[in-house]
Amino acid sequence: MPPRKRTVGPTRGKLPGHDTEPGSAALPDAAAGESAGPTKRFASTKVEIEGREEIKIVELPDFEPAPWGQDEPLAIVGQRVARMDALEKVTGRARYTADLHRGAMLHAAFVRAPVPSGRVTQLDLEPALALPGVRGALVAADVPGVMHGGAPLFDPVIHWAGQPLAALCADTPELARRACAVVVLEVQASPHAVTVQAALAPGAPAVRPSGNIPKGQPRIAQRGDVEAARAGAHVVVTLDVRTPCALHSAMEPHGAAAEWMGEDLSVWESTQGIFQVRKDVARSFKLPLNRVRVMKDYMGGGFGAKNYAGAHTYAAVALARKLGRPVRCILDRDGEQTDAGNRAATVQQVTLAARGDGTLVSIEADTTIAHGYSGWFASPAKIYHELYACPNVRTRETFVFLNTGAMDSFRAPGHVEGAFGLERAMDVLARRLGMDPLELRRHNSATRDQDKGRPYSAKHLDQCYSEGAARFGWTHRRVEAAASRTHGGRLRRGVGMSSQIWGAGGGPPAYATVRVNPDGTIDVLTGTQDLGTGSRTIFAQIAAESLGARLADVRTVLGDTERTPYAGNSWGSITTASVGPAVRVAALQARARLMEAAAELLAVDAGRLTANESIVRVDDDERTMTFAQIGKKLGDVMIIGQGSRGANPPDTAIAAFAAQFAEVEVDTETGHVRVLQITSAHDSGRIVNPTLAESQLEGGIIMGLGYALFEERVLDAQLGLPLNPTLHDYKIPTIADVPAIDAFFVRSADTVANHIGARGIAEAPIIPTAPAIANAVSDALGVEVGEIPLTPWRVLAAIDGSR
Amino acid sequence: MRLTVNAEAHDLAIQGHETLLMVLRDRLQLTGTKLGCARGECGACTVLVDGRGVYGCLTLAAGCEGQSITTIEGMASGESLHPLQHAFIEHDALQCGYCTPGQLMAAAALLSRQPAPSADDVRRGMSGNLCRCGTYPKIVRAVQAAGIAIRDRAAQGEVDASA
Repeated sequence: MPPRKRTVGPTRGKLPGHDTEPGSAALPDAAAGESAGPTKRFASTKVEIEGREEIKIVELPDFEPAPWGQDEPLAIVGQRVARMDALEKVTGRARYTADLHRGAMLHAAFVRAPVPSGRVTQLDLEPALALPGVRGALVAADVPGVMHGGAPLFDPVIHWAGQPLAALCADTPELARRACAVVVLEVQASPHAVTVQAALAPGAPAVRPSGNIPKGQPRIAQRGDVEAARAGAHVVVTLDVRTPCALHSAMEPHGAAAEWMGEDLSVWESTQGIFQVRKDVARSFKLPLNRVRVMKDYMGGGFGAKNYAGAHTYAAVALARKLGRPVRCILDRDGEQTDAGNRAATVQQVTLAARGDGTLVSIEADTTIAHGYSGWFASPAKIYHELYACPNVRTRETFVFLNTGAMDSFRAPGHVEGAFGLERAMDVLARRLGMDPLELRRHNSATRDQDKGRPYSAKHLDQCYSEGAARFGWTHRRVEAAASRTHGGRLRRGVGMSSQIWGAGGGPPAYATVRVNPDGTIDVLTGTQDLGTGSRTIFAQIAAESLGARLADVRTVLGDTERTPYAGNSWGSITTASVGPAVRVAALQARARLMEAAAELLAVDAGRLTANESIVRVDDDERTMTFAQIGKKLGDVMIIGQGSRGANPPDTAIAAFAAQFAEVEVDTETGHVRVLQITSAHDSGRIVNPTLAESQLEGGIIMGLGYALFEERVLDAQLGLPLNPTLHDYKIPTIADVPAIDAFFVRSADTVANHIGARGIAEAPIIPTAPAIANAVSDALGVEVGEIPLTPWRVLAAIDGSR
Repeated sequence: MRLTVNAEAHDLAIQGHETLLMVLRDRLQLTGTKLGCARGECGACTVLVDGRGVYGCLTLAAGCEGQSITTIEGMASGESLHPLQHAFIEHDALQCGYCTPGQLMAAAALLSRQPAPSADDVRRGMSGNLCRCGTYPKIVRAVQAAGIAIRDRAAQGEVDASA
């Protein structure tokens, strides 16, 4: 049989009837694939995820619809529809992983390392196993080859405090924890390094056998000639910056439940990536992928820490197999705050050089990152290369291995840290030049991705500057804050701002299936996750729009590796831009089939049909059929549409942009910083649901406020132990800390990035918040602060240092 | 002992160390009330005991005999949502939803103390309930809106009663 002919690349362009109105007939399926052209089914494309660009192989879709334009007459996409799972959430019916009850289920908890470095010399589980209701235990020998946090799971060699050493399993979670407490554990502690200073000192203990600095580091990235540029500059400023180790602190800790049915394993996990967890579990236990099912319905936040399977997953799976009963393992709060990822602390030295008119001529940053025992090298340097136009940039990054828990992605990993250094230094430069900080940033606006020499798919940062400044009242607030300081009172006001860039284009692979049921209801199936972001709602909106269906009839099914086709992790602000186009194509394909069926039933040409609000109409007569009526006539014939995400546009950078403005009031006697107002203007392309998107912006800003003012994991340098692994001592913002927030999007639809016109949102809002607040504090005090969080004692020290 | 939860009596043999949260979640399968920290720091386990907001994780179940306990499952009257539930949906005062039951319970306790709270009253009254998604601005709006709805409904009830 000869191979079927395919077109090269996506058939980008008109859908039959699509250009007239969204509800008109379409036939994107096989017919499009039969058009002339050379055969090419797979291609490679670039996808940026959390600052890392990856080459992905993409199976080119048979058809890609024309992009929705800026003025596309859309009825459902762009509307402020209520969150579709809100009812479940306000009634307590939403089931999270920890709410899951399986028959005869057991509970697991961990024995954890009490020192940051050393070796287990005795681990006697007998006293624990002797307790009534304790059913079993797990040690290293039970889980050969399984890794957690960069080390073998239950490794008797201790690499960080809080490392799991064994798991106990009992009838209740409380009993499992009690069992852990009666285990006889003896360790031989050895010298540790939990600070960069300790790890880089001569004769420092080796955190890893290969050394405390990874091979190939410092990592240097440069363009141009910074020395020559700096030598010729009118103004050179240098700022030393420190950022803290921050903890994700999701309200729902990491957790999993596992159950075996013969050779088939089911895992329920609070995760940002069901397919990633499936891969991790299958690999760790040498299982075929088709025997592992991973499910996630509701989850209580992730923020980057829940992208992979972890000790809790593996313990649940291994204990369930060993004991022949379902096992659930939910981390307690201490475990969550010590062994579930963090944003690494950094030390940065930033040097900016400019001409007298403010034109940047060189940017240099030397950064040291307190990496922990393992993780990936999330780059604080990248934003130095991207945010502003500058021909000469050099960054140096040294990640230092420490005897502390592994870092993990945390909402814009690397960028948040780097943005603080760069944007704080930009304000120092503005003050030195006597320039308005906003003007300095506008003046150095980058028109293209300078490292790779690519244009942006779209960039409306200038619009963010203008609209943000206008809504914030940048000019008059600056004047008023300055005027308030001339009185020399105890309370001083200041204003500051910051910009932001974050790769947010998403990309393949991502798939969706849309089914029209015989009663006219519609299922959207896709293997992505809703972390609280609203993806359940926006995919229903996109499907309803594309299908001409009533939104109330559409249900989105997510998070089940057996029910839903593949979609990637919910990370890197990729979900809307990755999965959205796949949902649209699947819905268009389903609509095309539905229209053909309706055409047959109505004995008309399909081209004469339109669909809107789940009603199919014939163009020039009165006849109509509802989706339900069509379904009833069709009986059990299934209308199914399949969609996938196509390639990204070649040689194009795709990013989210924002400008954020802050006003603060500093109490110069107590050192307390009160944030009064934050205004944040964002360019993320088309916004599918402004209400949900604004909620996410506010959330990011509030998280950034915590990073700026309170959040800091504190370690005892002598003992190497975390001192604040609780929500009482690790301070996240409360409702009382939150200022007036005005977060909004500038009007934009990105017709280059993808055919729904959306870019990512999730991580953008946290990036500029800490520098905007610190810039405002510096404005208020007339002191260049370089260290966050701006706790009262740091603020007082800054005031004292300036006297 | 007899525990009255959402107007339903349960006869249970409870051990002295069992918290109200454990009993609600593990014995009565009322999992709407969440466990976030187990030490009174996050408020995810807030429930009403005789109309007063308490942390379920710090309340011993044995001490609740003879008291009326309300959880999120008992907030709506049948299919009719409580005005706070309506307001949380309408104002999008939730994201992941994990803290939401506790927020709603804390808000109900607040409105019973202060039927017309100012924004600052809400911020003070709700500051024992953490939300990592950052829904706070919308919670303030939702609680105030629900307060108005409840007062309007009460006023309407008086009008209807006098008619």
